[in-house]
Amino acid sequence: MRRLPAQAVVGGVLVGLVVVAGLLGPLLVPHDPYTQIDGANLLGPSAAHPLGTDELNRDILARLLTGIRVDLLTSFVAVPLGALLGCAVGALATVNAALDVAVQRVFDVLLAFPQLILAIGLAAVIGPGATSVVLVVVLVEIPVFGRLLRAAVLRVREAQFVTASEVAGGGRGWVLRTHVLPNCRGPVLVQLALSMSVAVFIEGAMSVLGIGVTPPNPSLGSLLATSLRYLDLNPLFAVGPLVVIAALVLGFGLLARGAGNPALEAA
Amino acid sequence: MTRYLLRRVPSAVAVLWLASVLVFLVLRAVPGDAASALAGPDATPDVVAAIRHDLGLDLPVAEQYARWVGGLLSADLGRSYLVGGDIADLVADGLANTLTLTLAALLLAVLVALVLGPLWAVSRGGWLDRALTAFHTAAVALPTFATGVLLILVFGVVFRLLPTGGVPPGGLLDRVDITAQYLLMPAVCLALPVSAVLTGFLAETLRAELRQDYVLTALAAGVSRRSVVFGHTLRNALPVTMTALGLQTGALLGGAVLVESIFAWPGLGLLVEQGITRRDYPVVQVLLMLSVAVFVVIQLLTDVAHAWLDPRVRLGGAR
Repeated sequence: MRRLPAQAVVGGVLVGLVVVAGLLGPLLVPHDPYTQIDGANLLGPSAAHPLGTDELNRDILARLLTGIRVDLLTSFVAVPLGALLGCAVGALATVNAALDVAVQRVFDVLLAFPQLILAIGLAAVIGPGATSVVLVVVLVEIPVFGRLLRAAVLRVREAQFVTASEVAGGGRGWVLRTHVLPNCRGPVLVQLALSMSVAVFIEGAMSVLGIGVTPPNPSLGSLLATSLRYLDLNPLFAVGPLVVIAALVLGFGLLARGAGNPALEAA
Repeated sequence: MTRYLLRRVPSAVAVLWLASVLVFLVLRAVPGDAASALAGPDATPDVVAAIRHDLGLDLPVAEQYARWVGGLLSADLGRSYLVGGDIADLVADGLANTLTLTLAALLLAVLVALVLGPLWAVSRGGWLDRALTAFHTAAVALPTFATGVLLILVFGVVFRLLPTGGVPPGGLLDRVDITAQYLLMPAVCLALPVSAVLTGFLAETLRAELRQDYVLTALAAGVSRRSVVFGHTLRNALPVTMTALGLQTGALLGGAVLVESIFAWPGLGLLVEQGITRRDYPVVQVLLMLSVAVFVVIQLLTDVAHAWLDPRVRLGGAR
C-alpha cells in the first residue's frame, strides 16, 4: 500500500474527530440542546457545563455537538450530491457540441455570481433553514464540478491510449466510461475536499447573515454568530464553535493538500 | 487587440444580461406579496391595489423587467420598499465605507504578498518555509467570519486594544488615527485569505521563473541574488499575479458582506444583510446586480490586461 502523505493523515484525523463528535457526542452529553436550565444564564465553564451556557440558559456543549450535524449534512451530503450532478452534466456536455455550448453559458452565468452572493439570492427565495443551506451548497457546487470534469475529460481524451481504444472499435460512451472518467478521479477528489471546506464556510456565512438554520436549531455558524453578540458577557461562548470550525476547515484543507492539488502543492 | 475585444466584450455583456434576468425573476418568485406586506394586515383591498399600482407591480412581468433594466441603465436604481428613499442614495452612502474597507484590505493583501511571496520562493525546506506553509494553509482555510470573531475576542474583548465594531463617531475623515483603529481589524480580517492566496501564487510563479535560464545567466554574470529576485523574476511574475488578484475580487466582495456584518461596518454589505432580513427586495436586487456587474467588469479588465501583456492569449483560440 502506498504511504499516505503526513498532511492527509493529520487532515483525516481532524475531520474524523469532528465527525465522531457530531455523530456520537449528542448521545453522550447529559443535557438536551433545546432545554432551558433554570438560573443558568451565560455561565462560564463549570463541571456541569464544560463550555458554559448560552443566552437562553442552554448547555453550549450539547448545542455545539448537535450543531456539528448540520455541517456534516452540508459537507458530506450536499457537496457529494452537487459533485455528482455537476460531473454528470459536465461529462454529458462533452458528448454533444451544441449541448456543450449551452451548458458552458449557464455555468458562466452561475459562476459570474460570487459564491456568497449566489447564496444570498437563493436563500432570499427559498427562505432560511437547513434545507436552504443544503440547496445552496448543491447549486453552488454543480458548475464547479461541471467545469472541472469537462476540462479533465477534454484533457484525458487527447491521450494516446484513448485514441487507441477508439481505433480498436470502442464506442464513444464506452470509452468515456471505462477509460476517460476513471482518469479524471484525481482532480475531482481534491475538489471534493476543498468544496467540503467551502460548505462549512457557506453554512456559517448564511448563519451570520441570518439566512442559515432557524432558531432554536443550532449549527456551527449560528452558534458562532450568536456568541458574537454576547462576547462581553461570556467570552468563552465563542471558543467552542471556533475550535470545531477551525478543526473542520483545516482538516479539509490538509486533505486537499495531501491529495495533491497542483495549485497548493507548490507550497 | 481589437479582434480580442470584439470576442471578449460581447460575452461579458451576455453574462450580465442573463444575470439580470436571473436576479429579476428569482426575486419575483419570492413568496409573499410586497404590496400587501407594505399595506399591513388591516388594509382594504383598494389600498393594497393602489400600492401595487404605485410600485408598478400590476404591470406584466416583461414590462416590469424592461422598466427595471431601463432604470438601471439610466442610473435610476428604484426605490426601497421600506425606507421609501431612493436606492441610489442608500448605495451612495454605503459605497464610500465599503470602498474604504475594500481598498484598505486590498492594499494590505498586496503588501503582505509582495513581502512573503519572494521570501517563500527562496526559502526551501527550512523553518521559514514551514512557517509560511502553515500560514498559507490556515489563512486560506479559515472562514472570514471565524477569523473575525477570533480577532474581536482577542483584541476587542480580552485585551481591549481596539473597538469591536462600527465606524468612528466623527466620520471616517475626522481623525485619521481613530479611523485607523476602527479600520484595522475589519481590514485585516478581509485581507487575510486574499493575501494568503496571492502569496502562494506569487511564490509559485517566482519559483518557476527562478528555474529559467536567464536567471542562471544573470547569476553567472555576477548579478546579486537579491537583485535577480526583485529586479528580474519579480517583474516577470507580476502580470500573472495581477490576474490572480482579479480572480480574488469575488472573494473580496463576498468577504466584505460578512466582515461588514460582523464588525457593524455600515457599507453595502450591511445594506444587503438588512435588505434580506427586512425583505426589502428592490434593494437586494440592485445590490446583487451591482456586485455581479463589478465582478464581471473586473474579470473583463483582468482578461484584457492579460491579453495586452501576452500576445499568446490575444491571438489564441477561443479558450
